[in-house]
Amino acid sequence: MHRHRHVWKQMRDREAGKVRPHSFANRIKSNRISQLQLSNHKDIVSPHKGAINSLQIDSTEGRYLLSAASDASVAVYDVQRPTAISKHTSLFVLDKHHHQGHKYAVSSAIWYPIDTGLFVTGSYDHHINVWDTNTTQVVVNFKMPGKVHRTAMSNLSTSHMLIAAGTEDVQVRLCDIASGAFAHTLSGHRDGVMTVEWSNSSEWVLVTGGCDGAIRFWDIRRAGCFLVLDQSRTQLGRRPPVLKRSMITKDSSTKLRAAQKKHAIGSGSRQLPIGRVPSKGPMKQRLHPGMLSTQDRATAHYGAVTGLKATGDGMYLLSAGSDSRLRLWDVQSGCDTLVNFETVRLQTNKPLQFATTQDATLVFVPCMRSVKAFDMWSGNMNSILRGHYECVNSCWFNQQDQELYTGGNDRQILVWSPARSIADEMDEGPAEDQDNWSS
Amino acid sequence: MENIPESSSKGTKRRRDEDSDGGNSSSLEDDLIFTDTLVALRIMRAQFPPIHKGSVEPFILKSQLYSSVKDRTQVDRELESLRRDKVLRLFKLNTGQDDHAIMFLDDYLNQIDHVVKRMEGKKGGECEVFGWFKIHVLDSKLETGIEHQELCSLLSLGGKVKDSHISLLINAGILTRQLIDPNKYWFAIPNIGSLLKGLVQGRKEVISLLSRRRYNEMMMASLEKKRLRMSSLDMRFHLRDLIGSGYLRTDQTPTGLIIRVSKD
Repeated sequence: MHRHRHVWKQMRDREAGKVRPHSFANRIKSNRISQLQLSNHKDIVSPHKGAINSLQIDSTEGRYLLSAASDASVAVYDVQRPTAISKHTSLFVLDKHHHQGHKYAVSSAIWYPIDTGLFVTGSYDHHINVWDTNTTQVVVNFKMPGKVHRTAMSNLSTSHMLIAAGTEDVQVRLCDIASGAFAHTLSGHRDGVMTVEWSNSSEWVLVTGGCDGAIRFWDIRRAGCFLVLDQSRTQLGRRPPVLKRSMITKDSSTKLRAAQKKHAIGSGSRQLPIGRVPSKGPMKQRLHPGMLSTQDRATAHYGAVTGLKATGDGMYLLSAGSDSRLRLWDVQSGCDTLVNFETVRLQTNKPLQFATTQDATLVFVPCMRSVKAFDMWSGNMNSILRGHYECVNSCWFNQQDQELYTGGNDRQILVWSPARSIADEMDEGPAEDQDNWSS
Repeated sequence: MENIPESSSKGTKRRRDEDSDGGNSSSLEDDLIFTDTLVALRIMRAQFPPIHKGSVEPFILKSQLYSSVKDRTQVDRELESLRRDKVLRLFKLNTGQDDHAIMFLDDYLNQIDHVVKRMEGKKGGECEVFGWFKIHVLDSKLETGIEHQELCSLLSLGGKVKDSHISLLINAGILTRQLIDPNKYWFAIPNIGSLLKGLVQGRKEVISLLSRRRYNEMMMASLEKKRLRMSSLDMRFHLRDLIGSGYLRTDQTPTGLIIRVSKD
């Protein structure tokens, strides 16, 4: 009752103009997000017989959930309309029996960013399939040189339809749906690539994290990567201080290191000091300036990079590594902001998918069997969501309804939503009054 | 002149704390949480177990700091600014995933001097490389690792560098090769091999001590009185380390602090 009175008062304030509508909505949303718990009114019935590797809700309607599992099955659910009372079963399942289905585990399934007519799946059977949702047939098929760990398409792209694929091969491949062929490959990693993400601020920028511990930023219109994140470059806060900028990001070693391209995104001018290759060391062959980045061996983690997530505005990047650390990077300066997230142990053999809220205040990270919600800027743990019986692999946050979907090795997809009291359920109707004995 | 960074304005409070701390007599329960990273570092340095009678300078593990100061982000940032001010150095240890050791710069230089004294007797000649190392490399390279080429160019600021010089540094234990990249070295603390072995075994021993109990828990007051068989580092050192890395957790009870093995 107190809660409702509080909300009514805020609504009257909004009408009177005391509270801005945007901040009113945000206040309600963050209040709901802070009360996430295992949902008591929504349940997803998962038909999978293997660990769930990836979850995604489409960005156009926020309605259809796509899940990929280790038993080579892919399923789609409608999360807004239950098929039975408060149970959501799958709309369709594509498994091994489907004549075009995958043969081994499906590691990643993503929606086509423009609409839900297509979706893309990548699997350990070395294939990437593009499916038509309505006819559930494969439209385009790409063969990769190794197991596919992650596929990604850019949400912002207006001029290309490229699928970025991270496989156990060292090269990141770009597949073009329009032509059905490979566009080009990005080399620079020295081991398999476990995670790929497109940038949220530019349709041409791709971020990849490899098993060699490096995180590289690529502009796909140019050769080589333009930024390699180095964990020894740090800044003490969200943004580097304005005056001391040159002192903080450089140290004396940059004068002696071989010529490298380390400047921020979007700088059109090539500031490569080619003449700085030291004559004392072994003679390096003359490489194309863009390819000098392959010699940059900076690592972002002491181990493989297992997960990447950029914030909605594209200014910060979260990365998880097999050294069980989660780091927050400032993309503009390329430095680690030194926020410490108390993750004791993280899964190290599989790519992790973690989720952030849209205003980038909370990040949900799967930590072994539980999902921890951290405050993004201080690293404090807000809450632990326990419910899975085995390791959790992926989380997806639905901003519209403030719900979190998590999938794990125990083959379950769990829904976490703000608590709903019985008095709020006004749309259930007479069905709730019936029991097993009613006709 | 002592390198006190201006961020710690708690000068008088720090000295008072150091005076009142009577070494091993204060229990860990009272001393678990500090307000400031530098305060925590100095107190833990004073509490370093006096083994080997001065041949090993005190070092602190990063996980111990995490258990002592509540805000981990603050710890990371203060460590970073102390490192940049050359008050202390960080070393990556090979005992675990993300283990780091922190040593005050003066202690590290003393440690190197101990090693140099021992080696001077044996080889005579090429010990000038240690001087070059201290003056040129340590002063300009503040990170935990260094590349071969950069090392050579920094050392050559002191004199002509030969491969035997680098092998001497590796033999002394000041540099170790990185396993992932043959061209890179980690900076290391010399002569602490036995301590690191004791660290790993002591960790296992403490966890097994607690796991054998029925409910995997014990009162802190009784746990810290126990002596460890496998490790020469004392119980308080291990407890701070394990609480900070998350393997153990503490809870307040009406009768005092209780330590449990943390699940997940």
